[in-house]
Amino acid sequence: MLKSLHVEGTTLLHRLSVRTKLAVLFAASLAVFLTVDPFVLGGAVLLSALVFATVGVSFSQAVSRLAWPLVSIGLVAGATAFFETPVHGLVVLFRFATLILLAATVTASTEVGDFMEEITRLMMPFERLGLVNAADIGLALGLVLRFVPEIATRYESLREAHAARGLPVRPLKMLAPLIILTLKDADMIAMAIDARGLRRH
Amino acid sequence: MSTRDLVLTALFTAIIIVLGIIPPITLAFVPVPITAQSMGVMLAGCIIGAKRGALAYLLLILMVAVGLPVLSGGRGGLAVLAGPTGGYIAGWVVGTFVTGLVAERIVRETQGGARQIAGFFLASIIGGIGVVYLMGTIWLAINTGMGFVAALSANAVFLPGDILKAGIAALAARAVLVGYPLLPQRS
Repeated sequence: MLKSLHVEGTTLLHRLSVRTKLAVLFAASLAVFLTVDPFVLGGAVLLSALVFATVGVSFSQAVSRLAWPLVSIGLVAGATAFFETPVHGLVVLFRFATLILLAATVTASTEVGDFMEEITRLMMPFERLGLVNAADIGLALGLVLRFVPEIATRYESLREAHAARGLPVRPLKMLAPLIILTLKDADMIAMAIDARGLRRH
Repeated sequence: MSTRDLVLTALFTAIIIVLGIIPPITLAFVPVPITAQSMGVMLAGCIIGAKRGALAYLLLILMVAVGLPVLSGGRGGLAVLAGPTGGYIAGWVVGTFVTGLVAERIVRETQGGARQIAGFFLASIIGGIGVVYLMGTIWLAINTGMGFVAALSANAVFLPGDILKAGIAALAARAVLVGYPLLPQRS
């Protein structure tokens, strides 16, 4: 149901560490604001498109992944061109297109598990400060992945129950029962977690 | 943080994801279908309160960042966060927190139904619309060099739909408060 956006492969980008990739992405997000030359930024878009092409995302996948972000930057660039100058709009378009392509590259070349490990490591300093329990993040993520299919099934049975009684199926009517039924399980799940000693303090 | 709070947070994140999978809500008098997920900020704040609601959204954004297609329409990945609309996504977390904070202060279990619905509606407007628009617009204005007022006016298109969503979220939150109250109360 929740299929990761990671694409299998053994390219150089797949082999780079998560930390390096995130650092490069962060550096790029600062670098694109250093210039206002549309030609330089246009070159950056081409370059990042080439990098994105190397990770092995098929054309149709690329379209479905990039369509929405590109439409949103298109709208923003259009508004900028309208309120400011057309060149300004183009600069905005190129800046964000570069970042979106690079970000999509990192997502496609990184496995969820590796990403989570890196995040847990990044959280360690905060754990030492007592602000967060790094292991809790993984536990919470696991719970979400475990319960999304179950809640979706519950929605289906609510829908069928409505249909069976001849009631019009209105998502609005199902919102409250769906939320109540789901959250009522919280005590049981919490008890099960504590009984198994999954959270150590 | 108690284990129960952790579980409630994770369950609500899961609910927000499912709201992005189910078919959009169509109302007889509105031409555009409403994605149930877009009410998540208001629902989370009004139902599980400020702290747990904001954490549920942090968890959702974490899932987006690591490349899971958890947003409506199967969107996800760092590309969603890197775009010019990133400010709105950060606004979800703060907006949920503010929605929860207002709801915790003005809605009481002892109040009548109409007052509770009005309280949730107000909380949703302040947090789910005010805070989210404000943060999204500031980010947009900084990143595009567009004037703040021009960027803010671009939000106007979404305002009627969002006010309607605040109404729906208020009704749902009140129904949950009656059936299974979870909102912490502050004086």
